Amino acid sequence: MTKRKAGKFFIYLFAIFWTIMTLFPLFITFLCSVKDNSGITLGMFKWPEVFRWSNYADAIEKAGILRAVVNSMFVSLISTVFIIVIGMFAGYVLARKKFRFRGIVYSIFLIGVMVPVHCTIIPISGMATAVNGKNSFWFLILVYIAFNLSQAIFLFSGYLQGIDKELDEAAIIDGCNDFQLLTKILFPVSAPIISTEAILAFVYGYSELIFAMILMTDASKYTVSRAMLTFQGGYNVNLGPIFACIIITIVPMVVLYIAFHEKVQDGMLTGAVKG
Amino acid sequence: MRAKKRKDLIIIVMFLLPAIVIFACFIAYPVGDTIFLSFRKWKGIYGASREWVGISNFTKVLADKDFWKSLLNSFYFMIGGFVILMPLSFGLALIITSKIKGAKLMKTAYFMPVMLGTTAVALMWVYILNPSYGAVNEILRFVGLDKVTKDWLSTPTLNIWCVILVNEWMFAGYNMLIFAAGLVSIPGDLYEAAQLDGCTGWKKIRYISIPLSKESFKIFSILCVTGCLKAFDIVWAMTKGGPNRSSEMPATLLYNEAFTYKNFGKSSAIGVILLVLGIVLSLGMNQIFRRKE
Repeated sequence: MTKRKAGKFFIYLFAIFWTIMTLFPLFITFLCSVKDNSGITLGMFKWPEVFRWSNYADAIEKAGILRAVVNSMFVSLISTVFIIVIGMFAGYVLARKKFRFRGIVYSIFLIGVMVPVHCTIIPISGMATAVNGKNSFWFLILVYIAFNLSQAIFLFSGYLQGIDKELDEAAIIDGCNDFQLLTKILFPVSAPIISTEAILAFVYGYSELIFAMILMTDASKYTVSRAMLTFQGGYNVNLGPIFACIIITIVPMVVLYIAFHEKVQDGMLTGAVKG
Repeated sequence: MRAKKRKDLIIIVMFLLPAIVIFACFIAYPVGDTIFLSFRKWKGIYGASREWVGISNFTKVLADKDFWKSLLNSFYFMIGGFVILMPLSFGLALIITSKIKGAKLMKTAYFMPVMLGTTAVALMWVYILNPSYGAVNEILRFVGLDKVTKDWLSTPTLNIWCVILVNEWMFAGYNMLIFAAGLVSIPGDLYEAAQLDGCTGWKKIRYISIPLSKESFKIFSILCVTGCLKAFDIVWAMTKGGPNRSSEMPATLLYNEAFTYKNFGKSSAIGVILLVLGIVLSLGMNQIFRRKE
């Protein structure tokens, strides 16, 4: 019995240890976000003497971080919507139709999942120059769609294959054509997998770095990841507002996560297992 | 009947078209262009000629010790994944699936880092690891270990391990979910039966939980092996591959060759190698695990 107690004690100890480990960087970042430079350099742990909320005003006005958050939200929301719509249309065809090149189309998208994004950055950068797509949100959105689409198509066609075909037949007897069948019946039925993909695509788009770095050079169009990189390097900088910026960029995600944490966890899991 | 078939074909084409077009423009064409460029010399000037140089870009890459260094670093990523991340996330999965108080809350907390975004996480830790005022050195000084304090991100080899640990801090909760999903699917009466046979505590984990989580270990292994080649964001945001290219990963090397040193041909050759390695690894991993079944 004592052995069992010891085991339980160990579990609790480790659980608490990792809870602290997880929350501690966030806590320190928050503390630093309300200090001035001397307060930070004196020690990150020290409780701030005065809470300088003005750091947040600086982060918004001088560093323009709110703008980056809005940019990121815009890019990731729009790309998510397109990924879902385009992915559902393609997924529907792959799940429900029989045609000659089905196998080929399927394996094309399978390769799409495996291609590492990095080996496309030079041509995509060149394309952007050619079509005047640098600093264009639409070009960035198209790239984000491209790199999430293959996975979306797999998730969607897999899910649609699991839905009974009798549903389709009933709808067709009622006079639905393919388009109506998909938009009016299969879209709502697929809500769980759609929300899974929406979460994956949104999180990806919000914090994506490499394409944002190559394609966006105009500071007013930076997304959050790109904007945060500009902080590094300088020495005589005001540190407080930098920490405030970090906090501001993670707040939307934390709020989103806390509100939908179960859905988000499920979604990320499905993405990992089937992706 | 024929009319219906034709209508069906139109539907198929119309529905697939957007996906195919995007795929062709943003994945197929760039990959083709990367392969094309990998045999040429190009300094990245738009419209300038691209001179055919045969396989010299590849021989250059393979003779470059920075390239092998970057492969070694991604090998470290993989080692770190199996030696630290795997037991850690499995342990966390055991915790959140056990009956201790607050397990649900802990699950929510443990998973959070992955939502914060790589750059934010990286930046947070860059400051925490700062040699002069960072919290890590502060703690070390506080407990009297002044000698151990280091400039973590500027010391070669140590810096890549710092990046790996931060990466693992971020993804521990994520992988925990993979293991937890496996653990909850193990039938409870199995544990009860084991208990009757005198199997308790650690033994239960050793003889029931671990063997029956084979599927989760499989998924973890696939993600870990294929993921270690792709790591870019976290390395870039923490060290940019430096100092002196000591923490370079294949992906950051590719980026630096192209956009810092303007060797687009050589960079493309790295891209092609990455592409082949990536596809071989993911097909290989699938093959290995499928054969076992």
